[in-house]
Amino acid sequence: MRALVRAFRGRIRPSAALALLVLCGPVQASSDAAASPKGDAAFGEYLSGTCVTCHQVSGKATGGIPPIVAWPEDQFIAVMNSYRSKDRENQVMRTIAAQLNDEEIAALAAYFGGLILQPDTKK
Amino acid sequence: MMINRRQMLAGAGALTAAAGLGMPVVKAQAKPRVVVIGGGPGGATAAKYIAKDSQGAIDVVLVEPKETFVTCFHSNLYLGGFKKFDQITHRYDKLSSAYGVRHVRQWANAIDRDKREVVLGDGSRIGYDRLVVSPGIDLRYDSVPGWGKEHEETMPHAWLAGPQTQLLRKQLDGVKDGGVIVMIAPPNPYRCPPGPYERVSMMAHQLKSTGRTKSKIIVLDPKEAFSKQGLFQQGWERHYPGMVEWLGPKIHDGIKSVDPKTMTVTTGFETYKNCAMVNVIPAQRAGKIAIDAGLANASGFCPIKPESMASTLDPNIYVLGDASIAGDMPKSGFSANSQAKVAAMMIRGDLVKARTFPARYANTCWSLIAPDDTVKVGGRYEPKPDKITASETFVSKTDESADYRKQVQAENMGWYDGIIADMFS
Repeated sequence: MRALVRAFRGRIRPSAALALLVLCGPVQASSDAAASPKGDAAFGEYLSGTCVTCHQVSGKATGGIPPIVAWPEDQFIAVMNSYRSKDRENQVMRTIAAQLNDEEIAALAAYFGGLILQPDTKK
Repeated sequence: MMINRRQMLAGAGALTAAAGLGMPVVKAQAKPRVVVIGGGPGGATAAKYIAKDSQGAIDVVLVEPKETFVTCFHSNLYLGGFKKFDQITHRYDKLSSAYGVRHVRQWANAIDRDKREVVLGDGSRIGYDRLVVSPGIDLRYDSVPGWGKEHEETMPHAWLAGPQTQLLRKQLDGVKDGGVIVMIAPPNPYRCPPGPYERVSMMAHQLKSTGRTKSKIIVLDPKEAFSKQGLFQQGWERHYPGMVEWLGPKIHDGIKSVDPKTMTVTTGFETYKNCAMVNVIPAQRAGKIAIDAGLANASGFCPIKPESMASTLDPNIYVLGDASIAGDMPKSGFSANSQAKVAAMMIRGDLVKARTFPARYANTCWSLIAPDDTVKVGGRYEPKPDKITASETFVSKTDESADYRKQVQAENMGWYDGIIADMFS
């Protein structure tokens, strides 16, 4: 499953690795400072209402909307931080990320990270 | 089946009638019921989320007469030939099979707010603890002089997706090269602010791609400005030179009358005779049932509490989507879907003490101007005491590259699949 997720990611988000490299330093530092609290998945599920209008909860990806299910939480956090800091390009995602604080991004990472990519998600 | 909550509470004979629905006698011990009127982006999303997240603790009934739902969003893409009609048509089946929503295929004729009952088309009643009203818009057939419901087959509105959408496409296909198409755009507030202008783009695309470039689309607008105006007008110049003319009220001086018999549109400035096609998008108000139930104010739309989408006029009722006065949020499918999730959470909090969080709303509207040339506008919104207020908004820029616009179109197509999955899967 993890291999499948990674393969999916690698294909659809070629620049995600760069975002991770750039951002994992500060993310790691702030996580350490906050004693690495794990995100509140129930809170994340509520917040996810905004995400799943575009990103399918099954993990299915069509058109230009990538899957966001079953990512490692640290990577999810790094990518969201890159939108929040306006490093990564996308007006919708920048606007969505701008309203989220660290706790909320962690909650989303915990929720989506805990979902399973459903087997019938390939078109 | 007749259900009368007061009679049941009084222990009267209605008990027998209620047994089939597993109705509570004592409310405190009952499984609460939410009735949802309307199966669009507001209603279908609310029904699904309440049923899914309450995991059987709430009885959810969707009152929607149609078997299938045709989305208004992307109906312009059907018009432009980018989607087939069945690609914008969706079934409700999974709401029942996967989440246990009971789909009652009837019109909701009235709301008896005192008894907390919805009166169905066959005269039967269904009781509710909380009611979600998401009827969309009704057209004001008296808003364009000379035009009415009896003329919608001749001069279609196509603002309620379905047969009207197909009719508009059929008429468009019949326009000869050199034919003049007049669109009468609606006044604010109305469903889908960029919609009329995306439609102009898609009509122009159809004409151009079939060699009918001598045809012209005249847009008679009662508004001085419209959504994404600079982007659309730049796109029309770029892709359809000489084919689209937009006239604001200072120029056309008002739409004086239309005559469906002679296909004539008369403004204070000019008369357009023998039009090849006239698309009348009239003024709008909340769906009739919301107005009849006294849920609307003088504006014709329904005031809501920004923190919950609950009606300010009835605490047991939530109004979603186009029928509501959602402050800075536009009337769009995305908005209705976003509002539905807030309402669903608040209703679960109210009825089964589920955890609730402060409301947040979002919207994005994509508009296709020409193949692979798509623009977007959107924002995030939060409740303030007086209204739902935009906290950040964005809109495409006129200098974006072709590659970027193509990516935005891919996003548009992916979003459509996403919101459909969110509503119906």
